[in-house]
Amino acid sequence: MSNKVLVIGGGPAGLEAARSAAELGGEVILLEKRDRLGGTPDREGYAKLTHHWRDASEAMAELASAVTNHARVEVKYNAEVKGMSGSAGNFEVQIEAGGVAESLNVGSIIIATGFQHFDPGRATQYYNYYTFPDVITLTDLEKMLKEHNVVRPSNGQPPKKIAFIQCVGSRDRQIGNEYCSKVCCGIASKQAIELREQLPDSKVMIFYIDMRMYGYWENEIYWKAQEQHKVNYVKGVISEVLRKGDQLLIRGEDTTMSRPMEVTMDLVVLSVGMEPSAGTRAIAQLMGVKQNKYGFIEAGGEGGLDTVATSVPGIFVAGAAAGPADLNDSISSAGLAAARAMALVRA
Amino acid sequence: MAQKYEKAIAIEKENVIVDGVDVSGHWNRMFEQRVIFEYTPELIEKVASIPNAESFANCYQCAKCVAVCPVDVVGNYGPRKLYRYAQTGLDLTEAPELWLCTTCANCLRVCPKEVNMVKIMPAVREQAILEGKFVPAELQQAFENTAKSGNPLGQPQRKRDAWIQSAGVPVPIIKDLGRPVDVLWYVGSYPSYHPRGIDAACAAARIFTALGIDFAILGKEEKDDADSQRLAGEKGLFEMMAEYNIETFNKYEWKEMVVTGPHELNAFKNVYPKYGFERPVVHYTTFLARHLDQLKPMLKHPVNKKITYHDPCYLGRHNGEYEAPRKLLEAIPGVELVEMQRNRENGYCCGGGGGGMWMDSFTAKHTTMRLSEKRAMEAASTGADVLAVACPFEVSRFTDAVKSTGNEHVDVLDILELLDRSMRGE
Repeated sequence: MSNKVLVIGGGPAGLEAARSAAELGGEVILLEKRDRLGGTPDREGYAKLTHHWRDASEAMAELASAVTNHARVEVKYNAEVKGMSGSAGNFEVQIEAGGVAESLNVGSIIIATGFQHFDPGRATQYYNYYTFPDVITLTDLEKMLKEHNVVRPSNGQPPKKIAFIQCVGSRDRQIGNEYCSKVCCGIASKQAIELREQLPDSKVMIFYIDMRMYGYWENEIYWKAQEQHKVNYVKGVISEVLRKGDQLLIRGEDTTMSRPMEVTMDLVVLSVGMEPSAGTRAIAQLMGVKQNKYGFIEAGGEGGLDTVATSVPGIFVAGAAAGPADLNDSISSAGLAAARAMALVRA
Repeated sequence: MAQKYEKAIAIEKENVIVDGVDVSGHWNRMFEQRVIFEYTPELIEKVASIPNAESFANCYQCAKCVAVCPVDVVGNYGPRKLYRYAQTGLDLTEAPELWLCTTCANCLRVCPKEVNMVKIMPAVREQAILEGKFVPAELQQAFENTAKSGNPLGQPQRKRDAWIQSAGVPVPIIKDLGRPVDVLWYVGSYPSYHPRGIDAACAAARIFTALGIDFAILGKEEKDDADSQRLAGEKGLFEMMAEYNIETFNKYEWKEMVVTGPHELNAFKNVYPKYGFERPVVHYTTFLARHLDQLKPMLKHPVNKKITYHDPCYLGRHNGEYEAPRKLLEAIPGVELVEMQRNRENGYCCGGGGGGMWMDSFTAKHTTMRLSEKRAMEAASTGADVLAVACPFEVSRFTDAVKSTGNEHVDVLDILELLDRSMRGE
């Protein structure tokens, strides 16, 4: 029997799982693939978080320092899992950290290997992400917003007309991602607000199938974007992006007007959704944890309410490794995973 | 209505051949631009930047308003559509759509975003008037009549109290009375001048007298409240009339004001306070319902009729009075009260509010039938013999509407007239 908890992944969910387990008295080993903590928000250079409009780097640093400053958490950087054997209460996990192979004996495991952004090259629509420099993704725009330097990549000039296209890579049977990625409506609206702040003369429009602003995102982000920042929403998603002169021509149907639309834009932002990260797919296979048809780790247990349980007893999942999740979701599930992992090693 | 919200000029060709078929004719006007080439958030902003019209920009297109918009029932309209038209090229300040809203407030009742057309429409109309944009000629006429004659009908001021000759009871004029009264009865323009309005005024005079109310009217000093002119965009005219009226009301001593019309109630109770007039004002239905115990024994003669009651927007939705009119009708022996499907909070507008009273010909060009006609048909469908009303705009509107829709068998009567009939027998 081991009383140690292994957390795999140093993003928001992994950091919170490690911190919570340590605060509950556990001995925690946190594995991070990169040489720094902070996960996708850090790696992709997120600007502001949808929650409380916080600076993303600052928020991630806060989560990280709670872990790095904790005596009962050992962080291993440049680490990768190579193999696993054993069962709940007594897992042997072979890792390689900084080029050094090692075997860890742990009682329970929390997988927090997260998601990756959908690659718009896979979209069935002709969005021409890889053809037109002025077609970018939420992630690309996030970096520009962080730098306070939003320009058209084609000519370095600030865009005057900007369109967001929602549901790129989500809710699509052909692509294989039938699920809603949950956060893109909120992120696009958040970015639209930031665009209007940074480029007050710009027209910002969001083209959507359904706006899915659950909970407080409705009033805190969607209503704010429309009412205070004059972001315009149009129901009817864009099917193709073409070129017209040095601008982009977006084509679609404006459904509530029942009219075709062919409107020129300076910058088109694809609201790409979430897919399981390469790390999530790999760890699931390596550990024999069941994945759902989309590649995310299946969670919920038999009755669906054991929301952090995987198909393997003693292995739990936190954050977006289990499916699309916002930061609140990720951190909440991480706390629960820590509690469940600790309950096991203490039994 | 066809899609005519693009500024593009309609294509009208002498000869049009489509797939080998000659479709020449006037109706090829319908080939208008369909494709949206540009979105115009600036035209939403143009409206929303007008003080009191800010909420226009808040629409998130749920469309709850459209199903309850009385104009959409007979046409193609509704607040959410106006938002989209603005977003796709319509300048509301110069569009016919600006003049179709009756400010009935049914959209506001259901709007999750509190987009308030009752505030938006008057503000944008005022702007359009100030900028010299299109204003329906007949509305312009009503404005001019109000300014010149003190009433939208253009009737002479000196004849304002001529109706009292036919009341059959003395109707005291407060100036001549020379003493304080309990009730100052503000008669209103239509009950003072319109033949069917006068019938209701005379009935009211007889009822007040029978109840022994100590009342008086302003007579030749009474002028229009101008609330509907305000809602139609003439705030300047409204303020001028309000100033005169408040000064006149304050000249005399009285305890309570009773008004014949819901629009006057709205003016004096909800808008005049912003101009310094804060006195008790009630609609006649509320007032008479308070005297019901005394009134009931006087209602001796049965009125053996099936009656349906139309809720005036400005008595019901705008001022919350739904029960008093019904209590009065139920107090009349022999009356069987039946409800139309759309009643109380969801009452269907007669089309007279917000200046609609003076835009019937204009509105007719943009709708398939009058709102009053739609409502008259709904009333007839209940099997009622009588359509009872409590707003002086409505008697004339519905009397026309029952005729034009072939429902002459439905009598349109003010509640005052029905009470009077029961008191006197007929």
